[in-house]
Amino acid sequence: MAQEALMSSQLSPSESTGSDGFIKRIEINYRGIFQKNLAKKIGGDIVYVATSAKNTAFSNGRYSDAPERNGVPCKYFAFVSNLSEQDLEAECGAKLDIDEADISVVLDDAMVKGVEPWGWHGIRPINEKVRPGGTLLVTSRKKAEDLIKFIGKKPFTYNIAILEGDNSFAGLWVYNDDLTDVRVLAAIAAIDPKVIDPGYLEEYVARKYGDRSVEAVKAAKNFLTIKEVTPDEGIEWPHKVPVLPKWHDFEEGVAVPAVKRGFEIGPRGQSRNLNFRRGTTKSMRPLVRFDLCIKCTLCWAECPDQCFDPTGDGLYDINYEYCTGCGKCAEVCPPKECIVMVDELRFEDDTSPWESHKGDPQKYIKWVEEKKGPERVIHNRVTGTGFNVKLVDKPVPPKVN
Amino acid sequence: MTEQVVKSPIYEREELLTGCQAVAHAVRLADVDVIAAYPIRPYTEVMDTLSKLLADGKFDAEYIIADSEHSQFEIVKHATAIGARCFAGSSGTGWMYGFEAIVVTATDRLPVVAMVGNRALDDPGAFGVEHNDALAVRDLGWLLVWAATAQEAIDTTLIAYRVAEDPSVMMPCAVALDGAFLTHSQHIVKIPSPEAVRSFLPPLNLGTRQLHPDNPITIAPQVNEDWLMEIRRQNFEAAKRSKGVIYKAYKEFNEIFKTNYEQPFFNEFMTDDAEAILIGMGTVAMPAKAAVKRLRKKGKRVGFIGLRWFRPFPTEELRTSLSRFDAVGVVDRDVSYGAPDLCGIVFNEIRSTLYPLKKQPRVVNFIAGLGGREISIEDGVTMYETTLKYTKQDVDVPVTWIGVRE
Repeated sequence: MAQEALMSSQLSPSESTGSDGFIKRIEINYRGIFQKNLAKKIGGDIVYVATSAKNTAFSNGRYSDAPERNGVPCKYFAFVSNLSEQDLEAECGAKLDIDEADISVVLDDAMVKGVEPWGWHGIRPINEKVRPGGTLLVTSRKKAEDLIKFIGKKPFTYNIAILEGDNSFAGLWVYNDDLTDVRVLAAIAAIDPKVIDPGYLEEYVARKYGDRSVEAVKAAKNFLTIKEVTPDEGIEWPHKVPVLPKWHDFEEGVAVPAVKRGFEIGPRGQSRNLNFRRGTTKSMRPLVRFDLCIKCTLCWAECPDQCFDPTGDGLYDINYEYCTGCGKCAEVCPPKECIVMVDELRFEDDTSPWESHKGDPQKYIKWVEEKKGPERVIHNRVTGTGFNVKLVDKPVPPKVN
Repeated sequence: MTEQVVKSPIYEREELLTGCQAVAHAVRLADVDVIAAYPIRPYTEVMDTLSKLLADGKFDAEYIIADSEHSQFEIVKHATAIGARCFAGSSGTGWMYGFEAIVVTATDRLPVVAMVGNRALDDPGAFGVEHNDALAVRDLGWLLVWAATAQEAIDTTLIAYRVAEDPSVMMPCAVALDGAFLTHSQHIVKIPSPEAVRSFLPPLNLGTRQLHPDNPITIAPQVNEDWLMEIRRQNFEAAKRSKGVIYKAYKEFNEIFKTNYEQPFFNEFMTDDAEAILIGMGTVAMPAKAAVKRLRKKGKRVGFIGLRWFRPFPTEELRTSLSRFDAVGVVDRDVSYGAPDLCGIVFNEIRSTLYPLKKQPRVVNFIAGLGGREISIEDGVTMYETTLKYTKQDVDVPVTWIGVRE
């Protein structure tokens, strides 16, 4: 069924291309800087394969910061067509974003919670650009059902494709090929052969990357599942897109009012910038065992984003809406297992952990340990060579004062 | 990264390149001697790519990382004076910081080629394209050209060396690329072969002006009213001569590389029977051409002219070309505060070009795409519809801002 829906979408050319022409628009959502080279490579390889299949194509990135802040959601684009190069560039060139995507690739599944690349942009749903019958292709270890509960509803039917795999950290300063590139290309070829012709893909991968990559391409379809998503599936998207003022409605001379001053002890006690929360930057969030805290203040002092709110009892609450998941707090926290980074997709809200702890400490500790699970994931972010997983034998028992 | 090797004596290969990378390959092929670099986006990828090409042994040059744009342009100015072929580049406010050196490079008639990755001028800091940065050299004795595609970027940079270094010209040349929309967009580009480039681009020869111990000269000693007017006149005449050199350079480029640059100064799209056209520089060509195709389907007779060379300005050529139309809309990706009729820089050049015509087309101005704001296909349609309105009636207010929140 899902495949049929896909096929029908491929055959409906958009208004601009005429009856024989087609344009395929692909976006590649990636984590700023960690996956930049990876996303650029996928975009570039789409162009090369399309060109060998005698189509026209080009690729570009959305112009956000460079160097991009760690983890910030970013995009690359690729366009494939049988129009002339001039016509394809006319339709798709010199644009900041695409109008619609036949395929939206997502290289870190935590981005299904929304993307906020910069201030005044709002937190946008990951499937915002997916067109009717289009596909959201996510590299993930989770099932489509587990992701849909974070994703905004669409008024039409589309597909979620899961390419089983971890978040790739292949592309930091150097490109360290973990085969994510060719696996994603193979998944795209399986979803829409008009974007990537499977035959040309194998020939191209063999010529450019060699046997190991060819094997990965051949195997990829065994790791790909496609599910149709109907208009009733997903959530009501809670975030609004900011409306910016008209030219005569704000201060001249680029004088910008500061965030209103305010500070109170307790959760959400600090005034913060409502126009750029940055919480969608994280793949993992810090979980705190307040019972193990020695009140050293290091998490609060070291947090680069001032996410910690002092509480009346000498502890520090976390405002997850502003946490970028950098891991600094977990790194500097002295007691073992007091702050631990945990997969962001295990959480459905951003409520105050300190309030939960105060409400029922035993229940909170049990909840924290369940969320943490036995695995501790440590990303080697400087080298970009993937991550290590350590197993914890048993949770630290509650501390009795 | 060698891709799709083309068996051809004129092209070494086809490769996926950004606009910045395309410029860098042109600099490699021009076999420059000295590169002065200082990062500012969107130009930065040019210096990144050049340093990688050098590190990979693809060519050899002195690569000097300056402490600022001011030093950067001082370095290439001095190095050119001793006869070295040089390259530098910058963007936005960085280009402005180099200005003291940029001004004297032109008055000393040193044929530096510089890439300008067009970027809005600070403040506030913004990365997107605006043409005011490059246009700031329009009155200084720099040649100034826009590339609209990655292929044009590589071709135009090579042509820029040829024109700038022509003995009858000897003026620096700025090659402008729209920030983001061209600098950061990857396209399949045909890279010329070094042999073919050598046949197109002879070595730099400053002749008796070359600073050398065996040729003792002083460059630019202090003068006053007794000399300066004649010096200015030399520059004025060189700029005048540059137009003929540009024609010759494109003709030979077309012959060697089998390219199709019919009119070097601008390219026309669906203008043959047009009654209204838009004219603009850089990547505005893309949405404008898409708008033309949509309107043509509805029977509207519209076309587009992409202006490449701004200095020298193709006065007679545009006068002839534009006289065919009833209405001309000029798209300015720049702003000149308090200018005649409050219009943009390109508009006022074009309106002044049309002044001697007995039957002038009506001319309207659009300020659009400032600070990197996208000029959409719908914006293009709006501009054409406004321009078409003036094929039948006189222009009331010449300037319209497109895409501003008002």
